[in-house]
Amino acid sequence: MRGLIIVPALNEAGNLPRVLSAIAALAPTWDVVVVDDGSTDATETVASQRGARVLRSVINLGIGAAVQTGYLWARDRKYDLAVQLDGDGQHDPAFIQALVEPIKRGQLDVVIGSRFLSEGGFRSTSVRRVGIRYLSWFLRFRCGAKVTDPTSGFRAVGRRALEFFADYYPTDYPEPEAIALAVRHGLRVGEVPVRMEERFSGKSSINVWRTVYYFLKVSLALLLLPTSSTGGLLQR
Amino acid sequence: MNPQSVLPRELQLTAVMILVGFLGWVVHLIRSARLSLRDSLLWVLSTFAALLMTVFPQTLKWVAIHLSIEVPSNALFAAAIVYLAINLLSTTIAVSGAHTRVRRLTQECTLLRAELNELRAQVGNSERKPAP
Repeated sequence: MRGLIIVPALNEAGNLPRVLSAIAALAPTWDVVVVDDGSTDATETVASQRGARVLRSVINLGIGAAVQTGYLWARDRKYDLAVQLDGDGQHDPAFIQALVEPIKRGQLDVVIGSRFLSEGGFRSTSVRRVGIRYLSWFLRFRCGAKVTDPTSGFRAVGRRALEFFADYYPTDYPEPEAIALAVRHGLRVGEVPVRMEERFSGKSSINVWRTVYYFLKVSLALLLLPTSSTGGLLQR
Repeated sequence: MNPQSVLPRELQLTAVMILVGFLGWVVHLIRSARLSLRDSLLWVLSTFAALLMTVFPQTLKWVAIHLSIEVPSNALFAAAIVYLAINLLSTTIAVSGAHTRVRRLTQECTLLRAELNELRAQVGNSERKPAP
C-alpha cells in the first residue's frame, strides 16, 4: 500500500529539518509532501532541500485548506493511505505504524492519534483539556463518534476517507468537524494512543481568547452540521 | 414595568417573527452549504442579539432613555440601522480581502505561465508558439 505523509507548515523553517529527519528515520517507505501555507520564511527552501515535495500556496488559506490540498494531491496520485503530521514537531513519526494498522486491517477508515488514551507526553494545558472533553462529549452527542481527542491533528486515513476529504473538508478549526462529517458520510472513525511533544521552537498561534473563540466556533459549526451526508459546500 | 408600554405588541410580534424567520433562513443556508459559517458568523450573532432586544424590550427602553429618543419604538429602528451598517461594513471588509487574494492569485498565474513557457522552450518545443 502506498502511503503519503502530509505535513502542513506555516513558517516552520526552524522545526522542519528535525521533523523531516525524524520521518526519514522512522518512516522511510512513506512519501512526504510539505504543504507550505503561505509561509514568509524559508519553509519551502528548507523542505525541498531535504527531499520533500513542497506544495506552496502564496496565500495563507489556513490549516483546513492546507491539509485538504494534501488530500487532493494524495487522491490525484492514488495513494492508499495518508497521514497528517504537523510541521511543528509535536507529532512523533514513530506512531505512524500504529495509526495505520487498523486501516490496513480494514477495520477503520479514519484513525486519530489520541493523547488521552495513555500516560505521558505533552497533553496540552488544563484549560484546553476541559474544552477538549466538552468537545468530545458534544461530538458524541451530535454524531455518535466516540473520540477522546477530537482536536488532534495527528491522524491517518484510508482511501475512502482520503477521497472524501479531498472534496469535503472544513476550513476553520477543522479537526472536530472533519470527524463529524466523516461519521455522517458512513466512514468508520477510531483512535489509537500516541504521545505528543511540545513544539520545538517558534510560537504557537494559540492564546486564551483564541481558545475561547475556538470552542465557541466549533460548537456552532457542530450545531449547524450539513443537512445532507455529503457535507455540502465546505471547500470543494 | 409593562413591556407593552415600551414596544407595541404588534410591532414586537412582527419584529420577532421576521428575525426568527431570517435567522432560520440563514441557518438553513449554512446547513445546505450555500453560505459558509465563517462569513455569516456576524449575521447570526447580530440577528440573535437583535432578537434578544426585541423579546426583552426593556433593553430598548434603556437605550431610548440614555440616547434621549422620545419613542422607544424608534430605538428599535435605530438599532436596525446600526445592525445593517455593521453587517454591511463587515461584508465590505470580506470583499476587500477577497480582492487582495484574487490579485495575488492572478499574479501567481502570470508567473507560472511565464515559467511554463520558459520550460517549454527549454524542452525544445520551439516550433510551437507559446500558449495564448
